[in-house]
Amino acid sequence: MPTLLETRRPVRRSLLAQNGEADAYVVPDGLAPDARLGVYRNTIHGTLTTALRLSYPAVYRLVGREFFEAAVRIFIEKEPPHGAYLDEYGAGFAEFLALFPPAASLTYLPAVAKLEWAVSRALHAPDVAALDFSRLLAIDPADQGRIVFVPHPSVALVRADCPVDEIWPAVLAGDDAAIAAIDLGSGPVWLLVQRLDTGVDVIRLSEGEWRFAAQLCAGRQLQAALDEAADIDRSAALAGHLAAARFTGFRLEEAP
Amino acid sequence: MSHQPAAACSPIPARAGIGLRFQHHQAVIEDKPQVAWLEVHTENYMGGGAPLRDLDVIRREYPISLHGVGLSLGSAEGLDLGHLARFRRVVERVEPALVSEHLSWSTSGGVYLADLLPLPMTEEALETVCRHVDQTQSCLRRRILVENPSTYLRFRHSTIAEWEFLGAVAARTGCGILCDVNNIYVSAANHGWQASDYLTALSSSAVGEIHLAGHSVRELDGGRVLRIDDHGSRVIPEVWQLYSEALSLFGPVPSLIEWDTDVPPLDTLVAEAARAEALLRRAPESVARADAA
Repeated sequence: MPTLLETRRPVRRSLLAQNGEADAYVVPDGLAPDARLGVYRNTIHGTLTTALRLSYPAVYRLVGREFFEAAVRIFIEKEPPHGAYLDEYGAGFAEFLALFPPAASLTYLPAVAKLEWAVSRALHAPDVAALDFSRLLAIDPADQGRIVFVPHPSVALVRADCPVDEIWPAVLAGDDAAIAAIDLGSGPVWLLVQRLDTGVDVIRLSEGEWRFAAQLCAGRQLQAALDEAADIDRSAALAGHLAAARFTGFRLEEAP
Repeated sequence: MSHQPAAACSPIPARAGIGLRFQHHQAVIEDKPQVAWLEVHTENYMGGGAPLRDLDVIRREYPISLHGVGLSLGSAEGLDLGHLARFRRVVERVEPALVSEHLSWSTSGGVYLADLLPLPMTEEALETVCRHVDQTQSCLRRRILVENPSTYLRFRHSTIAEWEFLGAVAARTGCGILCDVNNIYVSAANHGWQASDYLTALSSSAVGEIHLAGHSVRELDGGRVLRIDDHGSRVIPEVWQLYSEALSLFGPVPSLIEWDTDVPPLDTLVAEAARAEALLRRAPESVARADAA
């Protein structure tokens, strides 16, 4: 009698790749084993397609159902989920679309996917209380340069070569006039994504502001980040992040 | 229910509830529909933000049951401890009146196969499921219910009837049984079992909840049909009949209308729950429920 583990690999592979490996273990009872496995295969594809459609609604609208399902089918084979918390599934979809030949003519598609992933992560990020200002004020001014902030888990920084922050809402709203007015050649955008109580906010920053925010979110010491951001209004930028509750905590690191 | 600590959420009454999905959060908060309790999928509340915030409001008005779909109690490679930890965080946050999972598996080789996959009904599988139910109950510090799945295939090397397997899991681990009468109907039709025999074999004292749902019928070549559990339509008359049989065997048990695909307006779900409620009121109280004593 095969062990549980011995049957799992063939069943898994049959479900993912339809290769018939598990047929020998299944009672046919008037129906081909693979047709029985196919019921599960369909549910798996349906569930994962729905999960990705929920995370990438604008991509879905841009390419249409048929294209989306075909792309997802290949994506699932290449990158199946590793856990049952499906809100975390699909991180690699933007990169997949960028290398997916049938999508090559839609140059903005991977950027839309990248923004949608940041938005989806923001929507599902855990609830964490914002940094308490009084803790910051208690820091000796001489030590302030060694502050390393902890970004809120909903905060993400996205850079794109096209105005994806205009494309994304216009596509979701089905606003054809707005879509037609978008200038794909208007140059890159630097975006900050964050969940607020009212929903997810996507804000356009200047390149300098974006780099400063990216440095702080990546765990750079405050003084070093400030030193590299000479071209922007640094105190206004920092105050803006603090007021918008983009950090949840901080620590003091040794001076570099 | 000796494993169950005092829960902040009021207990689930032996009445009818509905499965709550995101699209009905606002309607439930604003309209407070006439249903006795609500069940949600644990996996839908593993993140933060709006879903959990809504549930915080909803749970003040309704007893909540947490129904997991991804724990993979039948895993051959151990439970996914990360998933179990997330599950526990949701339980700690929501303090549900009931917690349930499935007699199935979904993870293998580090891949999550997003369905409730069938187990070979073997001694080894039984020991595996019992080990994982024990592990889950001790992690969550409470009793769980385990639900019978709809199945579309059987393994050649199975040696135990599914109802005996499920009964043994309950007997060995102290878990309860979530008796899905639609799943029994679907599996019985697909495999030529007698649905009534399945019900009769279950210990009434172990049955802590009943699920009701719709399913679809797929016509196959050669005139065969396969019934598919898709939670996408009304409960069919034959399943209502089986539900009545279940109530006459188990007495009044918390009963849930599940609807997950093509989710209808809330009113439709409430109307289905009212049908279950009417049958529950006629259920014989005289069926002594050992755990109610």
